[in-house]
Amino acid sequence: MLKRDRWLTWIFVTPAVLLVAVMMYYPMIGTVIESLYSTSFINPTPKFVGLAVYQKIFGSADFGQIVWNSCVWTLAVVALQNVFGFLSALLLNQKLPGQGLMRSLILLPWVLPGVVAAILWRFMYDPQLGLINSFLISAGFGDQGLAWLADSSTAMAAAVIAAVWKGFPFCTIVYLAALQNVEEEQMEAARIDGAGAIRRLWHIVLPSMKEVIVINFILTTILTFNYFDMIWVLTRGGPQNATHIFPTKIYELGFGQFRFGEAAGYGVVSIVILALLITLYFLAQGSGRKAAS
Amino acid sequence: MSVAPSKTSRAGLMLLQFGLCVVILLPFFWMVSVSLKPASEPFAIPARLWPQNPTLENYVTAFRPEFRTYFVNSVVVSLSTVVITVTLALFAAYSFTRTQMRAISVLMLLVIVAQMFPASAIIIPIYKMMKAANLLNTYASLILAYVTVTLPVAIWMLRGFLARLPVALEEAAAIDGAGPFKIFFLIILPLCKPGIVATAVFVLIVTWQEFLFALSFTSTKDMRTLPVGMNDFIGQYGIRYGELMASSVLISVPVIAIFFLLQRQFVAGLTAGAVKG
Repeated sequence: MLKRDRWLTWIFVTPAVLLVAVMMYYPMIGTVIESLYSTSFINPTPKFVGLAVYQKIFGSADFGQIVWNSCVWTLAVVALQNVFGFLSALLLNQKLPGQGLMRSLILLPWVLPGVVAAILWRFMYDPQLGLINSFLISAGFGDQGLAWLADSSTAMAAAVIAAVWKGFPFCTIVYLAALQNVEEEQMEAARIDGAGAIRRLWHIVLPSMKEVIVINFILTTILTFNYFDMIWVLTRGGPQNATHIFPTKIYELGFGQFRFGEAAGYGVVSIVILALLITLYFLAQGSGRKAAS
Repeated sequence: MSVAPSKTSRAGLMLLQFGLCVVILLPFFWMVSVSLKPASEPFAIPARLWPQNPTLENYVTAFRPEFRTYFVNSVVVSLSTVVITVTLALFAAYSFTRTQMRAISVLMLLVIVAQMFPASAIIIPIYKMMKAANLLNTYASLILAYVTVTLPVAIWMLRGFLARLPVALEEAAAIDGAGPFKIFFLIILPLCKPGIVATAVFVLIVTWQEFLFALSFTSTKDMRTLPVGMNDFIGQYGIRYGELMASSVLISVPVIAIFFLLQRQFVAGLTAGAVKG
């Protein structure tokens, strides 16, 4: 499109801008307004209650649990996903036989529909029929299966493992692409200077991948914090709230109990937390850049 | 960067690669294996990896009429979303990469930032809007929601491709007397075909598995999509794992097949955005 076609520029962007404004920004404001009103199954007419919803949310015993769960869930999944993704990218970047096939296979879990992955893992964790318990029993760890998802001490860890399995291949592919951009000459020079693999990784590979790593952390944080399917299908937030995170709590409050005001309140809090996390990342990236220069 | 490793470390690396392969594939293998087991077999304890008497009976039962309805719904909603999203994203990304106008750049950044919004945080107002517009339990509600959430990512992906096309091509065509539409359809469109394919596959993968909106907006069986229908299966029939795994395979095959067919272009498109920012 050339400079003289100004009117066309506007026509081309209008549908996208309009749609996102009406379907995302307007509802975003709507969530804030919604949270100032109270509704319930018995009282479906919205009643203005001001900040009472927040008082109720912050005062409830569930709230602390959900913030804690969301933090544990997000930090654990993001960290493990990125570490495994990075390590498997390093592995797939070596010249080994069967590599081409591996590079195609690795994205399979990511392409597998989320609900299917969740059902599959629910089956893997099944106390009687599941593969995990069968392996543990035949390897000699006890003779009775554990109910991984029904026990509040193991449910979150089980959900994290399933989510990491589903998500780390995405990180692998992103990091693999970034690894292939690392300059060959620089690596060769370091090798001649006698720098070992660890030092090359630390001084050349990681610095040159810094931006990709930061972007990927931000991206996976957003996706994980908002990830609804896995937990909903595995545990519905149970047992006893042990795996409830913001999205599952919002869905349950809104569509399970018709407490739209409270659900919206949780929505606003989740937006604030996400915004804080993202700002922190950007600040960290900024100070990292300053330190480097 | 790639290194030719020494012989001993090579054996170790091969072992690691094999381990990675097992981690990735074991759940898939089990899914397919259970789907081929006759009804009594999944209940053998401890679970057997390999089916003793493989049968297709689970696939026959899984393909019940509801499942076919869910399948058709998923296809209609996903394909419509892919076509609409890619078209709108292409127009927007093209304008975005070619303009120096500040207002347009600001608007586009606002659109791209929207991909960070948590869907669960805005679902209640959207649900109410759909209800007010009488769109609940229709294809339109799902398509509208899916186009909106996939649009920002699609614009972000396509932007990477369009930015690399030289403007000189368009200038030359304009000197030859081609109008802006002719330039767009005859020059730009064919040149960014790989980007379009990558974006379309991405949108398809996301839409095919979307769960939250489909769960909230549809209320009757005839409007359910596959993921929601699958989730309903769990409660309805007790857990009949053989059938459930057969349905899982049937749902996964279309996206996995498309992914493998277009894999090269897809991975290139995905990483172009992420790696080059």
